[in-house]
Amino acid sequence: MIKNNLKSLGRISLAIMFIISMANVAISFECKVKKSSMGKPSGFPSRALTMIVPYGPAGGSGQIAAAMAEAVTSLTGVSINRDHKPGGSGTVGMTAYMSAPSDGYTVLEHIDDASSAHALDSSRPNPAVDLIPLVISQVTFSQIYIRTNETRYNDWKSFVKWVKAQNGKSTIANVSKEGSMERVTMKFITEAAGIKIQQISFDKGAPRYGALLGGQVDALFEQPGDVRKFLDAKKFKPILTVFNERPGVFGNVPTHKEMGMNFEPLLRFRGFYVHANAPSDRVKWLQWAFQRGYCQNSYQKFNESKFMTVIDSYRDTAGARDLIRASIIQYRNVYKEMGLNVK
Amino acid sequence: MIENFILGSASLFGDSTTIAIFIFGVLGGMLFGAIPGVSMLTLAAILLPFTASLDPAQGVMLFAVIYCTGTYGGAITAILFNIPGAPENAPTAFDGYPMTRNGQSGKAVGAAVLCSAIGGLSSAIVMMAATEPLANWAISNIGPPEIFALVFFGLAVASSVGGRTIWKGWMSVLLGLIVATIGQDPVGGINRYNFGYSDLAAGIAFVPAILGFFAVSEIFVQAEKKAIGKYEAPKMSVKFPTILELWAQKIAVVRSIFVGFFCGILPGIGATLAAFMGYGEAVRWSKNKESFGKGNIEGVISSETANNAATGAAMIPLLALGLPGGALTAMMVAVFQMHDLEPGPMVFYNSPELIWIVFSAMFYANLSILFIGLIETKTILYLLKIPFQFLAPMILLLASIGSYIGRGLVLDVMVMFIAGVIGFLLRRSGYSIPGIVLGIILGKIGEQNFAQGMQMVHYDILEYLSRPICLLLIVAGFLTLLIGVYRALSYSMKS
Repeated sequence: MIKNNLKSLGRISLAIMFIISMANVAISFECKVKKSSMGKPSGFPSRALTMIVPYGPAGGSGQIAAAMAEAVTSLTGVSINRDHKPGGSGTVGMTAYMSAPSDGYTVLEHIDDASSAHALDSSRPNPAVDLIPLVISQVTFSQIYIRTNETRYNDWKSFVKWVKAQNGKSTIANVSKEGSMERVTMKFITEAAGIKIQQISFDKGAPRYGALLGGQVDALFEQPGDVRKFLDAKKFKPILTVFNERPGVFGNVPTHKEMGMNFEPLLRFRGFYVHANAPSDRVKWLQWAFQRGYCQNSYQKFNESKFMTVIDSYRDTAGARDLIRASIIQYRNVYKEMGLNVK
Repeated sequence: MIENFILGSASLFGDSTTIAIFIFGVLGGMLFGAIPGVSMLTLAAILLPFTASLDPAQGVMLFAVIYCTGTYGGAITAILFNIPGAPENAPTAFDGYPMTRNGQSGKAVGAAVLCSAIGGLSSAIVMMAATEPLANWAISNIGPPEIFALVFFGLAVASSVGGRTIWKGWMSVLLGLIVATIGQDPVGGINRYNFGYSDLAAGIAFVPAILGFFAVSEIFVQAEKKAIGKYEAPKMSVKFPTILELWAQKIAVVRSIFVGFFCGILPGIGATLAAFMGYGEAVRWSKNKESFGKGNIEGVISSETANNAATGAAMIPLLALGLPGGALTAMMVAVFQMHDLEPGPMVFYNSPELIWIVFSAMFYANLSILFIGLIETKTILYLLKIPFQFLAPMILLLASIGSYIGRGLVLDVMVMFIAGVIGFLLRRSGYSIPGIVLGIILGKIGEQNFAQGMQMVHYDILEYLSRPICLLLIVAGFLTLLIGVYRALSYSMKS
């Protein structure tokens, strides 16, 4: 009984945290940082900052890092050198960052993978505790896509019917690495919809999208910003949105809840961090620079091009911590259910 | 097509800024391609933010030109010093460097210049003629099962290169394949053989491994010779290949154009596989297989034709479908996006002038390889006059910087030196360095596509073999292995 009560308590706290993190789902943009300038604390920074990016320059992280660096530099005049350290789903970059001096001159870009990695193995850095989130500047949801010219099915219901008829022989392309947001969400979907589908993991975008375009797979799990060009060219069509409500631009696409799948969606988020023990006055300046950088026209234009203004993409330090903590709890619960070795 | 090409050429050469950007791209690509570690990708990453201030056509054109000339640039150091500028130039070193040691550096560099230009120009012409239908054919017919079959076939062919015996050739490839398994597995993301060392989670990077196995091990070999008084400086030769010699290789050139084009057109594959496959096919069709790895000009020709043929081909999925074939084409996507454009089907309708400036620029960049390459080659060959005691530390320094700069990890420098020592010892025992490098590079591509392919066919081998391209390549691969075994056994029975 105690165990059940604890479980219920955990679920309630999780739900509350999610409500907090999703509370300000707004489309219109309003800069939350009013101060348009801030004095440098004791001359910091007196030289260029270094931004460690744990992924390559051409992917989603590389692009957001470039856009934010440009925005912060144009705002403050301080240059930012990007140091890409790809590999190991962000592990290489995170390790390099944790061993870098915590003087505020080195910042980190990272995605929700850092949270899921900590959820699976608590010896890995916790982005809400071991780091200070300066800003989370991209928050997005996932969707399931099919080809626009697909003839076997044309919406979620017909897709589910078709998948069931294939008896486990249908395929979906995603990044289905152990414990990833994609794999966990697909577990939720397949269980809730009562379908069996073979997930095929492509770690690079091009072969993943090519697999759907060429008919090598039957569907694709992705975030809308990453496939915008295929949506604009009417090559891909979303049939399911994994989010609690229909975002305006995808008003004709049903959500998972509408389709009877009752789980809390996991979000993809990208943000910027600094060491937890960096000098507090420097952290304050960095928080201002990155949060205000989010408001720069160039950054807003970038986010808009990536469908990142469809839902509220902005979290300040407190909001980011809430989102990260909620994600860690949710991932950890799911990992335990999946029978993974949660350390 | 001709009309569009003329219009594209007129736009390219009708504006002095565009001409300046074109020349910068040609020279920058060649220079960064030639310096090990500091590849064309380094230059592209540096230039990326600056392209925002350029006209969209100028920005994309600059990257396309760097792609063409950068792919060629790494051949020079591969041939002269056994230092491939990039992984796609590694097969060029297999025979290019032995040619230098044999006093045929001029012939090797001349062949590389000419064949890079021919490969690049051919693929540029096909790219201009048939981008959209080719891209659609490739993504509809070639998926992970076919790519794995291609890699298997390539490994089967190339395992016979460079080893003292066929068994040692196979062992070398297997060693490379084992090294390729270090790091996270490509499907589940499970860590393998990293011994808790997080930097190894990403596996062994190609560049330090290549620099170690080729450049560092070669320095150890030459240093040993110097120490025991058997060192002979490579003879400098500015003698280019004759027209007759090149004409004799026409089939190899045409074959490599096809191979390079085919590999280049596949999303996510690109020039590296093209170079290895081009080289492997040259070995497979040769009547004199034993001469490969010892200074056969056909090895240089096949590798350099194929990797440059892949450059134009890689633009096809990028421009027609928005699918980049490799890291540099992926950066081109960012250039498009900086200007509110998206590569893909709509770009042909929305920005045809941009497309034709890029196509024309790639054509002329490949032509520039020919002219600048032939003019500069004789000057470059004089680098061989530098005495070994000065050259060796310079190469080691350059290789160390090249290893470190990619990811900024000391681990990569350590990997380079360890690979150098292992390479030195294995070479003494008759194992094949090209085989090891081939195993490392193709192992990663092959494993990922094998896992994806198996998932696609639901782990049913019959379903896998029901795909015609897979069946053809797998059967051809096994036949190649069996023929190798038969030859080896016949040879040992005779002797």
